[in-house]
Amino acid sequence: MRVLTAVIAIAFGFLVLLGYFFPQAAIFQIILLDWAVILAGFAALVGLLNLMIVHFDKIRRRETGSVYSALLILSLIITFLAGLLLKPQHPIMRDVILNGIIIPVEAALMGLLTVTLLYAAIRLLRKRADVMGIFFILTAAIIFLGSATLPLGDVPVIGTLIRPWVSQIWALGGARGILIGVALGTLTTGLRVLSGMDRPYGGK
Amino acid sequence: MVISTDLIGGVLGFLFTILILSYLIGDNPLFRIAVYLFVGVASGYVATVVFWQVIIPRLWLPTLEAVQTLSLARGIYMLFPWLGILFIFMKVSPGMSGAARITMAFLVGAGAAVTLVGALTGTLLPQIGAAINFFDPRLAAARNISTLEVMGNGLILMLGTVTSLAYFHFGARPKADGSIRRFGLIELIALVGRIFIGITLGAIFAGVYASALTALIERISSLVDFVTNLFGLFGIL
Repeated sequence: MRVLTAVIAIAFGFLVLLGYFFPQAAIFQIILLDWAVILAGFAALVGLLNLMIVHFDKIRRRETGSVYSALLILSLIITFLAGLLLKPQHPIMRDVILNGIIIPVEAALMGLLTVTLLYAAIRLLRKRADVMGIFFILTAAIIFLGSATLPLGDVPVIGTLIRPWVSQIWALGGARGILIGVALGTLTTGLRVLSGMDRPYGGK
Repeated sequence: MVISTDLIGGVLGFLFTILILSYLIGDNPLFRIAVYLFVGVASGYVATVVFWQVIIPRLWLPTLEAVQTLSLARGIYMLFPWLGILFIFMKVSPGMSGAARITMAFLVGAGAAVTLVGALTGTLLPQIGAAINFFDPRLAAARNISTLEVMGNGLILMLGTVTSLAYFHFGARPKADGSIRRFGLIELIALVGRIFIGITLGAIFAGVYASALTALIERISSLVDFVTNLFGLFGIL
């Protein structure tokens, strides 16, 4: 089974890869990606089923917080059944589920970040006042000051000269380094999987 | 009296915003109720989207078509995903759970290829191209920027890119005293990289904080609007 799974991952991975570079192989790539989308969708449904099983277990074992688990399962089942009957584009799904629950909760959680981020920045200054921490706070302060909308307009020099220079040149340099680093890491991981050195699907 | 879905959505949005913002006074059962309900509702919504936009149009309808038309080619085409689904279900049986790895291997292989090309064409090549283009005098002239300014800013950008990358170089050798340290030059370059990374993270922090503040203001504004409209509905205001 170990060899079979490695052969499947490498063979299908290379077939998909070939489709990007050779137009003749594009048909195989389209077929394989179509199958991958179906299987990934089904795997997502199985993952949600697993989420329900984990919370059912919590309720069965009467663990602390099992009331919350019951609420989760109930809300999941009701939403899924409503979605099956009405389809996701139905006005009830859009107004009640999406605009009534999902978007307000996401926006409110984002709003909570104002407090937690401020707290994290204060902790950073107290616990790690090194070169990186100092430049981090200095840059954040410059950008805040430069972006502030004051009754008399922009803060002179900081808003018009320093903030754009820091965010468009200095910060961009570091961001480009981080992005290239992430891309190189992703590339290496992809190559390791395609060469069979890494087998996240199981098998050493 | 007909209750519109807009009104139900507004009431739910108001309640959920209050429940989530109650976290500002500390972790409490109301916040947890809202979060667990949110996870349940969001999961249920994702499941319906997957069902109606992936399973039905890409799996169920083509299979039905293959059965109705008795098309052998279409049938063979649809056999593979059904086999993959069967293998996933075999995970339930302890003796045959290994079969699920076949489907996972296929997904990982295809996913790795897509990710690899995505990283190459979506990030690596455009970023390298943008770094080179910054030194192009023709592009600078088109943007009405002096060559000196372009060169100065280009050098800062290049320094930031190279030193930030060097910061993530963790290759080290043991010293005579037993300590493990990076090569001296790399250590020096990484120090400059730390400054650039600090500046970048500071800029990102400011951006995220501004977005979070905007979201908080929008939520508070929606609460005020809802209460004002409610009072207006009953003729209080």
